[in-house]
Amino acid sequence: MDANKLIEKTTSFKVNGKQIELTLPPTYRLVDILRDSLSLTGTKVACEVGRCGACSVIMNGKLVNSCLIMAYQMEDAEIFTIESLSEERLHPIQEAFLQAGALQCGYCTPGMIIALKSLLDEEEQPSKEDVLTALSGNLCRCTGYEGILRAVDLLTKKRHETIGEGKE
Amino acid sequence: MVLDITSAGARWKIRRDGEPKVTGRLKYLTDMSFPQMLYGTVLRSEHPHAKIESIDTKEAEELPGVASVITYRDVPGLNGFGIVIQDQPVLCEDKVRYVGDAVAAVAAETKEIAQKAISLIKVKYTPLQPVTDPEEALRDTTIKLHKDGNLLHQAAFQKGERQIEKSFKDCAFIVEEIYHTPRQMHAYMETEGGVAVPGSDGGITVYAPTQHGFKDQLQLSRILSIPPEKIRIISSPIGGSFGGKDELNIQPYITILALKTKRPVKIHQSRRVSIKAGLKRHPMKIYMKTGTDTGGKLLAHQVKIFADTGAYATLGPAVLDFAVEHSAGPYRIENVDVKGYSIYTNNGVAGEFRGFGGNQITFALETQIERLAEKIGISSTEFRMKNLRQTEDPGPVEQPIVPTDGAKAVLTELIKSPILQKKTDLNAGMDWKLKGRGYSITMHGGGLGYGRPDPSGARLSLNEEGKLEVSFGFEECGQGLISTIDMIMTETFNCDTNDVEITIGDTAKVPHSGSSTASRATNMVWLGVNKLKAPFIEKVLAGAEKQTNVSSEKLSLGKNGIWIYEEEKEEKLLLTYKELASSMDELPSVTTSYHFPTTPQSIDGGHFLYTFAGVAVEVEVDLLTGRVAVTKMDHVISAGPVVNPMGYLGQIEGGANMGLGFTLMEDAAMENGRYMTENLDTYLIPTILDIPKETKVFAIEDLVSGDTYGPRGVGEIGTVAVAPAIVSAIHDATGMWLNKLPIQADTILKAVEQKILSR
Ligand code: FES
Ligand code: FES
Repeated sequence: MDANKLIEKTTSFKVNGKQIELTLPPTYRLVDILRDSLSLTGTKVACEVGRCGACSVIMNGKLVNSCLIMAYQMEDAEIFTIESLSEERLHPIQEAFLQAGALQCGYCTPGMIIALKSLLDEEEQPSKEDVLTALSGNLCRCTGYEGILRAVDLLTKKRHETIGEGKE
Repeated sequence: MVLDITSAGARWKIRRDGEPKVTGRLKYLTDMSFPQMLYGTVLRSEHPHAKIESIDTKEAEELPGVASVITYRDVPGLNGFGIVIQDQPVLCEDKVRYVGDAVAAVAAETKEIAQKAISLIKVKYTPLQPVTDPEEALRDTTIKLHKDGNLLHQAAFQKGERQIEKSFKDCAFIVEEIYHTPRQMHAYMETEGGVAVPGSDGGITVYAPTQHGFKDQLQLSRILSIPPEKIRIISSPIGGSFGGKDELNIQPYITILALKTKRPVKIHQSRRVSIKAGLKRHPMKIYMKTGTDTGGKLLAHQVKIFADTGAYATLGPAVLDFAVEHSAGPYRIENVDVKGYSIYTNNGVAGEFRGFGGNQITFALETQIERLAEKIGISSTEFRMKNLRQTEDPGPVEQPIVPTDGAKAVLTELIKSPILQKKTDLNAGMDWKLKGRGYSITMHGGGLGYGRPDPSGARLSLNEEGKLEVSFGFEECGQGLISTIDMIMTETFNCDTNDVEITIGDTAKVPHSGSSTASRATNMVWLGVNKLKAPFIEKVLAGAEKQTNVSSEKLSLGKNGIWIYEEEKEEKLLLTYKELASSMDELPSVTTSYHFPTTPQSIDGGHFLYTFAGVAVEVEVDLLTGRVAVTKMDHVISAGPVVNPMGYLGQIEGGANMGLGFTLMEDAAMENGRYMTENLDTYLIPTILDIPKETKVFAIEDLVSGDTYGPRGVGEIGTVAVAPAIVSAIHDATGMWLNKLPIQADTILKAVEQKILSR
């Protein structure tokens, strides 16, 4: 077989607000499109079976594992990656991660932050249980998660304060 | 001091490498790509043990888009690697010894083509019976995996006047057990990978994570048959390692392919391949017999360790030596007889892993201590106190060590943990759940130990940009080394973070500092900077004096530059570093090389500096499911002054939960030399839902007065004593003792049936 003759298809979608058009095999994975074709290497890859969460992105408003999404599922999709969070300044979640020491090697970090962002987008004041459930699909081998929990604490404290202030 | 954000105060400092990590901007070496880059893939063995009859690459070579296919014939130099013994073939010629063995590799225009090409390579094997049981592997009749047989290494330690059998006759209480520990996976989130870029001069630059760039350089120079100076290794940052990336992994393949094709070649292994080919923690079977007199004084301790090192040596000998050395831990025992064997099998490859053999032996030893206390009928604390080492005592293999009261300090503090206080509510509030509490302690050597070259080096310069540039050969594996260097520098020179430039992880730019391993880097950085401090300040101030005509005695280094002190006058900034640098003809630079402190006595692998730790846990045992949850965990660590509180805490917390995985869930099980688990969906590591609801870390910073060796590393110690603490807590809850890790729900359920339901 001629490996160059893979059937390719043009797919158009938006990444971090930018319109993209690519001609790709329909089974090409989103994680590879981001990392290899678009050089958006903030999205990481670690298990490729939807278990570790390192490749998390937000697609059409929902948290997805980009290793499980293929090009043919992406037509007209709107995707946000870690790179979208700090275009001007750090997102409060990113601030909290730095303050709390919620990262070590940092390889799981973009996925963790995206998962948390997706949760906070949906639920402004999630309960501790919500947070634990939301992050249970993101593996971290370095921090033992303690730092990540500290970051969540900092973040929810801050949110409570700003919400409190808003009321006064 | 309970270490947390509040107690750390201003020293809770945001990591220098933090922002690029949280934004995704940081390029890990596996994120890199270069123009004209090819993608590589390695063909791994189909069999755990087989003869290779032939390898046919023709079809693969003819596939359009394939740039190169290599086999053993294409290895330019030595077809072997290994940190100490080069017994692992780069590409197998006549035999494969495990399922991860590399047989061929390909470079192609795309990943898909490379993958396709791999499937077109035809290897004819004659499968051989795999050797999978280490003890059986030692029998004369078992097939030999290497030319010198299946015994990689043996180590022994004896102490005492009496023969061990005789000393057991004097014992009033004896416990004799067999302990098993699992094949744990490092499970770093970033799998092995990197890019090799050929230079125009026949040299090559390798961007691939490793814990020891210069060792990679040396090994690659043998394999590629080119001088080390022509090989540049860029090895930081690393997406986690824990020992797993100390050995070469994809580097030989990307470099051979890049030199052959004259194009950059990248490999980033999939998790499946990483699991097949990568290192694991040595599974150990430990026979242990320990006895005391009627009062609970330890009289005799006999240990036999069988470590399954898998197909190749890597650091198997050193890991075994470490386990043998730590067999008696922080206890003084009159008669000791330890024998250890590290044995080749066809079960994957085991090598270096956080804790380095300490985890396995400490699980056995501490469980043994608890069992004995129960048998004697005294509290385990009283029993430990009776037998604990004292400040001036020699080390565990009777070698002179730096005096330390760490053992006693840790034990005394640990038993104050709220977790261990008198049991008020042993009931978890539900009839089918039982709560229990337990603890363990440990003593852990830092550095590589006597007889192993363990040199380090450092360089300090004032550079053209006016930065205090400090360079080490160490790597940032995630542990926070960059922050640690930053803090040692700013505190030593009273300067600002912005005044410091840190250069690590690039053989073209840094001095040899040895490996980022064995909890040694923090200690080595501290020693290096302290050695260079005086000569550096002298040179810098001499320059400043020349420039300003102010006597150097009145000058000192500070924030942004050189400050002047005059009596009764306010100190002020006289000259910025930048101004100083631009005025100097020759920029000051000082270097030093030194060795990790070792014991003077010639005991191979014997350590000189030790850290101590204790862990207390509360567990909940679910009698319906057999599941164990660790609900609370307290750590007490004695490792000297805390340099980098955020890093210290992170290492203990992270290590602890890795230890929790080792105890309750992780095992890369094998059947007949094949992994039964291929990815993180079946090999389970702790998630955020599996960790204790409360964890506290208590740091004991005092060292014995006169100790000049500074802060000890804490990279490993957090993992070591977790398992026996959990086992002891399960015993407290249920009355059962467990000797095999990870603890299986089945085992608990069976015991529940037998013990609890029938009582
Ligand atoms: S790489 Fe996608 S979930 Fe792990
Ligand atoms: S910080 Fe390394 S995996 Fe999470």
